[in-house]
Amino acid sequence: MIRQSWWKILGVLLLVYTFIAGLMMPLKPGIIQVSPGSLHAGEAVELVVRGYNSSYAKAGKENMRAWLKMDDENILAASKVQVLGNRDLKVFFNLPAYLPSKDSSGSFSLILDHPADGAAVLPNAVFITQDSIDPAKAGSAWKSGRFENLSEHPGKTFPFRNILKESIRNQYFHVPLWFAMMFLFLFSLIHSIKYLRKGDPDADLRVVSLNQAGMIYGLLGVVTGALWAKHTWGAYWSWDTKQNMTAICLLIYAAYFVLRGAFQDDERKARLSAIYNIFAFAAMIPLLFVIPRMTDSLHPGAGGNPAFGGDDLDNTMRMVFYPAGVGWTLLGFWVASIVYRIRALEFKWLDR
Amino acid sequence: MICNRVSLVLILALASIVSARAQGADADFLESMGKMYVVLAVVLAILFGIVAFLIYLDRKLTKLENQIKEE
Amino acid sequence: MNFFAQVGILLRKELLLEWRNGYAISGILLYVLSTVFVVYVSFFQGVSPMVWNTLYWVMVLFATTNAVVKSFVQENGARQLYYYQLADPTAVLVAKILYNILLLFALSVLTWLAFGFITNNPVQHLEKFLLAIFLGSLGFSILFTFVSALSAKADNNAALLPVLSFPLVLPIIMTLVKISVSALGAIRDSSLGKDIGILIGIDLGLFALALVLFPFLWRD
Repeated sequence: MIRQSWWKILGVLLLVYTFIAGLMMPLKPGIIQVSPGSLHAGEAVELVVRGYNSSYAKAGKENMRAWLKMDDENILAASKVQVLGNRDLKVFFNLPAYLPSKDSSGSFSLILDHPADGAAVLPNAVFITQDSIDPAKAGSAWKSGRFENLSEHPGKTFPFRNILKESIRNQYFHVPLWFAMMFLFLFSLIHSIKYLRKGDPDADLRVVSLNQAGMIYGLLGVVTGALWAKHTWGAYWSWDTKQNMTAICLLIYAAYFVLRGAFQDDERKARLSAIYNIFAFAAMIPLLFVIPRMTDSLHPGAGGNPAFGGDDLDNTMRMVFYPAGVGWTLLGFWVASIVYRIRALEFKWLDR
Repeated sequence: MICNRVSLVLILALASIVSARAQGADADFLESMGKMYVVLAVVLAILFGIVAFLIYLDRKLTKLENQIKEE
Repeated sequence: MNFFAQVGILLRKELLLEWRNGYAISGILLYVLSTVFVVYVSFFQGVSPMVWNTLYWVMVLFATTNAVVKSFVQENGARQLYYYQLADPTAVLVAKILYNILLLFALSVLTWLAFGFITNNPVQHLEKFLLAIFLGSLGFSILFTFVSALSAKADNNAALLPVLSFPLVLPIIMTLVKISVSALGAIRDSSLGKDIGILIGIDLGLFALALVLFPFLWRD
């Protein structure tokens, strides 16, 4: 299996596909900015909208529809839309004097729809304050809008997330490293068990190689994650649940290599590090149950849900993400197999 | 091991350059790219990491070849 | 002689050994008192319950490392091998684990008394706190005893124990901190039962694994 090349070719092909599809496919048109951000009830307002990947000019203003939305019940349609360019738009609203809310202010999403781009949403786009509170008087004024036959974007796109934008593509480069790492460690566990049962030095060489490749993937995962986090959450390290989990994993496997360094005798080294490897993997399993319950995670899928639920991974992303996961994993095994072959040569020629 | 350390330094240097770039004056240019530079940084970090590991393996293999030749 | 009788005799041996030379207990006693005093001097303004909790578990963790590190090195290798011939090797491990549970429980209570006496005692629910201490000494004892058996085989073992065991002990200590925070009454915790369940699960799992792996570990 190690010397066969079909799985290496498969891995590389999947990665080529990942790079091409993951980098070339456009983002769904979205809204970057709306100004002014805070408004007052009862006024006629003019919002300047800046789009991303959008083609407003192509759609023309007669097909363009816009709404301000508080919840599914209370939606206000725009009075007029003025197209300035493909990415620039002016939207006019006559805000009613009362908000449909018991608070003195509320935040509203802006929704745009036209056939060329499909529907786009900017959550919490504007903040509206009111002087006196009377939800009853707001009544029908907020019922003017209704979402009917929203258009779909023609063609395949990745979702537009306002804090991520293009960096949503890192899903195919950062996240699979973690999966691949877990697979590498899982296989090293299997070979550790095999070593304890058979005492074959070859199994030990495989364990070290797999662990080394897993460590490389883990380190890369932490570095890429830190880069991504800096530009999404604002800090390289935010003591997030999953960051902590990876850090602990890396500590455990670093300890594995420290342990190996502490022995002179090869048989002892192999046996005791295999025991530690098994014990460490078992001690790592509770991490998956314990730490996620301690705090909320910034990562998607926090709060007891499995990762990658709902909107954060739509069908188009799945088409790239799953092949990416398999591709990176196969690449990891390729790296591990090269390390193994070098170690096996070393063992055969030098350690007699 | 030395290679690994060098690569770590490289990656950290890259990270700081990218972040300094993002906080710099040219915010409009970066905004127009829609955070594409983050993807670039991540892909480059992975590339550097794997290349650094390849260099480490290469050296190890060279040393091994020399030792085997001597025997 | 069956397994449990062997464990009983070996446990008695450990206790007798401790009673005769008394070195470990007095050493640990001194260690705990001086650590508590160092912490007290450093935090002379007093500590809030949350900080008290964290400091307490950090002190217990380090005291544990010091107490357990000698489990498999205080008697020399030949004598150790002699025990393995006389009794079931797993019985030796179980006896050491049981002995360390007693030792660590005493140590935790002692740290609590000393720390509580010198600073203040924020414990509101005594039974919850004692439960946390007990589950803690259970988990610490299983994990540290096994890892110390492992590191005793290495050449430079004193430095190895913390390196090998601290990453593994993190899930245990995070759960413990959470349970004991609710024992201090600092926060109301609705998931206390679940946390205790997780901790018992971890302890049992590690214990079973230690029993399975020890036969591969002891022989040289």
